[in-house]
This record gives sequence, structure tokens and C-alpha cells, in this order.
Amino acid sequence: MRSFISNFKQRLRLPRLFFRKPTRAEQIHGGPPLEFERPIPPIQWRGITVLVVLVVVAATMGWELYCRAIGYGPTLDDNADLWTLRRRAVTPESIVIIGDSRGWYDVDLDELQKGLGKRPIQLAMGGGCGYPVLADLAKDESFHGAIICSVVPHIFFAPPGTPPMERGEKAVKRFHSQTPAQRASQYLAFPLEEHVAFLKQEELALDDLLKRIPIPNRPGALVPPRLPPYFGTLDRERRARMIEACARPGSELAQRIQQIWIPLFTPPPPPTYVPKEQFIAKIGEAIGGRFRDTAAAIEKIRARGGKIVFVRFPHSGGLKELEDRDTPRAKTWDPLLKMTGAPGIYYSDFSELAGFNCPEWSHLSAGDSVEFTKRLVPHLRAALKM
Amino acid sequence: MLFNSLTFVVFFVIVVTLYWSIGSWTARKNLLVVASYIFYGAWNPPFAALLFSTTAMDFWLGRQIGKAKDRHKRRVWLVASVCMNLSMLGFFKYGNFLLQNFQWLLAHIGIIYQPPHLDILLPVGISFYTFHSLSYTLDIYRGVLQPTRSLRDFILAVSFFPQLVAGPIVRAGDFLPQLVRPQPLRTGQFLWGVALMTLGLFEKIVLADTLLSGSADRVFGYAGPLVALDSWAGVIAFAGQIFFDFAGYSTCAIGAALTLGFHLKDNFRFPYAAIGFSDFWRRWHISLSTFLRDYLYIPLGGNQVRPFRAALNLVIVMFLGGLWHGAAWTFVVWGLLHGSYLVIERICRILFEDKAWANNLSTRILAGAATYAAVCIAWVYFRASDFTIASRMLGGMFGQHTHGDAILSTREMLQVALVTIGMISVHCSLRDSNIETAVTRLPRWAVTAAWALMACAIILTQGTSNAFIYFQF
Repeated sequence: MRSFISNFKQRLRLPRLFFRKPTRAEQIHGGPPLEFERPIPPIQWRGITVLVVLVVVAATMGWELYCRAIGYGPTLDDNADLWTLRRRAVTPESIVIIGDSRGWYDVDLDELQKGLGKRPIQLAMGGGCGYPVLADLAKDESFHGAIICSVVPHIFFAPPGTPPMERGEKAVKRFHSQTPAQRASQYLAFPLEEHVAFLKQEELALDDLLKRIPIPNRPGALVPPRLPPYFGTLDRERRARMIEACARPGSELAQRIQQIWIPLFTPPPPPTYVPKEQFIAKIGEAIGGRFRDTAAAIEKIRARGGKIVFVRFPHSGGLKELEDRDTPRAKTWDPLLKMTGAPGIYYSDFSELAGFNCPEWSHLSAGDSVEFTKRLVPHLRAALKM
Repeated sequence: MLFNSLTFVVFFVIVVTLYWSIGSWTARKNLLVVASYIFYGAWNPPFAALLFSTTAMDFWLGRQIGKAKDRHKRRVWLVASVCMNLSMLGFFKYGNFLLQNFQWLLAHIGIIYQPPHLDILLPVGISFYTFHSLSYTLDIYRGVLQPTRSLRDFILAVSFFPQLVAGPIVRAGDFLPQLVRPQPLRTGQFLWGVALMTLGLFEKIVLADTLLSGSADRVFGYAGPLVALDSWAGVIAFAGQIFFDFAGYSTCAIGAALTLGFHLKDNFRFPYAAIGFSDFWRRWHISLSTFLRDYLYIPLGGNQVRPFRAALNLVIVMFLGGLWHGAAWTFVVWGLLHGSYLVIERICRILFEDKAWANNLSTRILAGAATYAAVCIAWVYFRASDFTIASRMLGGMFGQHTHGDAILSTREMLQVALVTIGMISVHCSLRDSNIETAVTRLPRWAVTAAWALMACAIILTQGTSNAFIYFQF
């Protein structure tokens, strides 16, 4: 009797796939050799290795000393794994800070703990939109705590696909997909980053050093603006503090950062490949969508007994002028509170919060952030009905 | 666990120290099995169970094939192994793709069907370890390998951590013989392994991730039309990025295996110096191309059939090779393009091979340049996530967007140009040689300087633990 496979082959005219004995040539070329050994270059490996280790250790130490000499100090890198570790610490009743870097630099966790009776968890991020985090907390059925959300309209209303949204989404995605290996790497990175000054991924890595080379670009090239240099430190709770070199009034670093904020906060020109009206309509639609989505997320959290308060943190100088012009309060902040029904604290509405100066126009110094938080606490307690 | 992560550094130091401090060969092999499963489980622990179950099944099926005297029974056991492995791969990797295409097909005949979206998480490296495991039963069937009696040895052959998740695809027949006798600790071999790991990490962290990936990502991620210069720069950046990313992983794997006394074959042999596409595939992802050649192309009849059939065989192999890379039609087009390139090359060989001009230097240089350009064009389909992006990229490359945007900075373009020129120069100069010969010929100070420079660049770059591109396959 013919086998099922033979009949099947014959009917479908299948090739002789896998069903014939290999030829001798195949056995030689396709088959495995009994022994295979890689050649090892016959050189003095011990001596070379000792020299390499000495050179690398010396170069690394030299680089570390140089970085310290020009003002860098050890601090943790703010990455998605560190954020994820804090996100994991969120319990159903936690107080959580979300949003952009103003919610990150301008609040002091110790003062908040004293004033609110519970240590908040810092989930705000530099240049990151708070909406993806808010939406994730809304999806978390167990969460019914309190949210303090920093709002910088440029960032909070950033459309999908823009860097602020991607930053927030990346962090949330990592929280849901972090592998044991990634978690272990973050724990191993703590002692290294806390003691080595040159470990700064967005400042002293090769890529960032190359970006500092002043090479002019082609006229009309749509090159993204530079990000500000290192001006803060971060601890394991993700409490960010401005460094002294930036906090000094009129410091060179603060002035340099001021000039970086302006192009960074200036909306990019409409793309050339979409008609202007169509683009404006699309952006308007995206912003409208963000209002609606935010309201829906808040509704879910409230339905479970959770609370939220929006906070507009201090900003000053040319950046304040730019924000007031491009994202006026009447078109961003006011409709946000109206549509969501959530309470809000706009720093300039309260004299005790309005007198602070931001050295680099966008954030408070470490010292001021403590005082600002002390004064903010009563407002937070009232807004969160605590 | 990624090679470019702190976790791996600590893991590797512990494993190597324990490995060489244990005297018993059996205990060393046990240690490697445990280490390999920890390495794999560090991504997603439950998938380690999946890896074990497919390995155990193939071990058992291999024994059945070996034991069966009857040719028919051997075939049945082989078909069982092939079906088991490919169905596992099919479910995890192609499940949603097949459903989507089924839905599309039904829609074309007027049936509206909304398939459920299967929330399938792709086990890392499934395409690689499936082939590791499958090579075992195929070789036993082919009569070129005897079934091993040790399940532990077979588990180690499939899951050996340096090559487990992104290749090279090490055939059981290449690895199992190395488990028979204990490998002695040779200082030169160990340190050469460490040097290769440094080279691999340098390729990945510095060249691929730092100097090239930014340009490639920006160009392929841009939603509008681009001018020709930026389009080509993005594609050339990706051509370099994917080489350094994948070759870097393979070099790390070879180096890590050497430090443990194991020898893995080359997976890349300076592919961008290839003259012609068959030469390219003898140099690019060699472990996959030889796998497809031995287990698919030759059984299909190879080139020992009529010319049309031989050409069809090439296209079939490259079609499946494309699909192996990912569950998307863009990968299929990439494979088919390479299949067509191979067919065109074969026709050219038939027509021009014995012409005097066909083998002179200028023709070879032109053919090499044409190969590189055609490979770059095919990379567009490999990198683009859909056909809209691919056609926009090709439009830009061939000057359709004269009023397109320029998005790369001068620095980015210089980086891409310098790295590409350097890469192609190295590939051309070592085309008929290998890295071991090159290192042997270099003066000692140059080897020291190069090694130290690569290590310093890795430290300076502070790798951000970006996943290797081939992990997704």
C-alpha cells in the first residue's frame, strides 16, 4: 500500500522536500563537520590584555575627573526603568504626581508628606506628557488615590506621535512589559550612577558629545532643536533638584538654558506635505480629543473614589511670555478645568505662590521648591478635600 | 537578557567564573543549562517552559527517527517534528498575520468577518531556537547525525545562551560533538573571546545604535516626502545599522562561546564587499542561508534541475526566507526582491560568464557597487513598516520628491557617510580574508590601541540597552 505522504505528494505534485536521502556531496557540504575549531590569532594575549585594561581604566578615570572638574556630579539617569520602579510602588490609595518636568522639579516629597500625611510617588517626567500616565491610572481598576497633575499646555496637549506623548507612552509601555532582566539592570545601575559623574545618557554619552560639534546645517533643514544641558539631579524616588550652578541668579548655565527653551517651546512650522488649513484642523481635532479623553479618564478615576487636581507651576521671563502668547490660559487651562470638572491651582492666582522666580525660566531652584511646596500644600488639601 | 546590559555583565562574570572553577565536565554542562534557562527566563519566565517542551519533543522525535528501521516510519516522525516546530512558530509568530489575511481574503469575496485579535506575545528568539532544534531531527533523518542519548546535552545544544535568541543558527550537529569532551581553558582563546565580545558590543552600541540608528529612524519615521539625499542617507544608515546590529550580536555570541571553550562558525563574512547576490548570501547571515540551502533549496532540487525550475527554487527559498524574518508582506517583498536578484544574476552568468570583460577589475567594482545599491533598495522593504512608507522612501531615493523636506543635520549625514565608507573599506580589504588573519598581521600596538579604543567608546557611549533588531524575529 502506498503511504499517505506519497499519495499526497503525487496528487499535489509537491517537490521532493525532505523525502530523499542526501547525496554524498550534501553529506559533505550540508552535513555537520565532526570537529570545528575557530582559529585563535597567535599573539601575546596576556600582555595585550594587561595594557588594554590599564589604558581603559586610566582613560575612564581621566574622563570622570574631567567631568567633575567642569561641574558634573553623580546622579541617576531618568529612564523608563527607573520610572517603572516608581510606578510599581503605586498602591490603590497612593498620591501620585504626574505630568511634565515642572511637577518634577518644583515639588518636595518631604513637604508633601508632612502636609498631606502620605508620601507621594513621583511619576512626572522631563518633557513628558501626563496624559498617557493618567489614562493608565484610569485603566487600573484598583487605583482610587489622588493625582496631582502638572500642566504645561504645550506638553499636556501634545498630539499623538510627538516627543512628549511618546515619552509618556514609552514609560507606560515599559511598566507593562518590563522584563526581570531590565529590572535587575536598573538595580545594578543605582550604585554606579550614584557614584560616577560621567554616566549621563542625555548629556555626556558619545551621541550627545557629537551633537555639540558646531557644524552648520543646510538652509531649510528641519532639524529638531537641542535639549537643555544637565541642570538637575535625581534620586531613587525620582525627586529632581536643580543644581547650584543653574540656580545661581544670572548664571551662565541658566542663561544658556533660557535660550534653549525658546526654540524648544516654539511650535514647529506646519509640515510642507499637508495643506496648512488641514494641518490646523488636524491639530485642533487632536487637542479636542485630548480634552475629551482626559475628561473620560478622570471620570473613571472619580467613579472609583479617586481625586485629581491640576497644577500650573511657576515659569517666568521670555518663556512665560511665549507660553502666554501661544497657549493662553483662556484657551487651555480654563477649558480643561471646565470640561473635566476637576479643581485647579494656577500659581499666579495666589500671591503666596506667585512670587517665585525660575532661574532658567521654567523650574524652581531646589531651595525654592521646598518653600513653594510648603505654600502649595494648603491649596492641595483644599482641592483634594483632604 | 541583552548582551548590552548590566545584568548580562554580572551574569556572564558569574557564569564564566563558576564554569572554569568547576572541575567536572558534567557539572559544567549542568551549569550551562541552568545559566541558559536563566538567561532566557530573564525575559519572560513562562517562555522557558515552552523552550523546554519543544526541545524535549524534538529529543524524543529524534530518537524515534533514529530507531525506526522503516523508511516510512522515519518520514512520519520527521513530519511530526517539522509540524510541531513550524506550528509553534506559526502560532506565535504568524497567528495574527494569518487571521488578518484571511479576513482580507473573505472581504474580497464579500464575506465580512471580524477575527478576534489574538493577544499573542512573541517568545524572544523563537525563530532561532526552532531552527536549532529542527536541524537535529532533519539531520538524523538525512543520516548525517546520530541521535544523542543525553537529553541534557541536547537541551544545551538548543539553548546555549550565547546563540539562543538571535543566532547564529547553530546546528545540533555542529554543537553536540563539542559536548563529548571537556574543553580545556586556553588563555589565548579566552582572551580572544573577550576581544570579540568587545568588538561585537562596539559594533552594536557605538556604530549601530549611536552613529547610525538615529538617522535611519528619523528618515523612516518621517511622515512626508524627503529629498533624495536624505532618503538615501536614511537607507544607507539602515544598511549599516542592521549589519552592525546583527553582526555585532553574532560576534558577541562567538566571543562568549569561545570564553567557555566552544566554537561557533562565522555568521557574517564582510557582506558589503559582495560581488553579486549569491556572493552576498554566502556572506550575510550565513547560518540562515546555509540552513535554507541544505534543508530547502537542495531538497527542492537546487540547481540540478531545468533552469526555470532552478530559478523558481531560488524564489521559493527567498520568499520563505523573507517570511522567516517577520509576519508582514514587506518582508515577503524583501525576500522576493532578493530572489529576483539571484535569478537575474544567474541569467547574467549564463550570458556573460565567459566574456573577457566580465572578470576584469572595473566590471567587478561596478558589480560590487550595483550589488550594494540593490541590497540597499531591498532594505527599504525590510525597514519600512508598510508599503506606503516603502513607496514614499523609494520615491524620494529616485528623485520624485524634488520639493521634499530635508530633515537630517549635516552632522548626522557626515556620521552616516564616514561610518559607511569605513565599513565598506574594511569589508573590501578583508573580503578574501578573516578577522583572525587581520589581527595576526596587525602590529601589536595597533591591536592594543584598537581594543582599548573600542572599550573606551563603549564606556563613553553608555549603551541604553536597546534591543537587537533580530530579537523580534
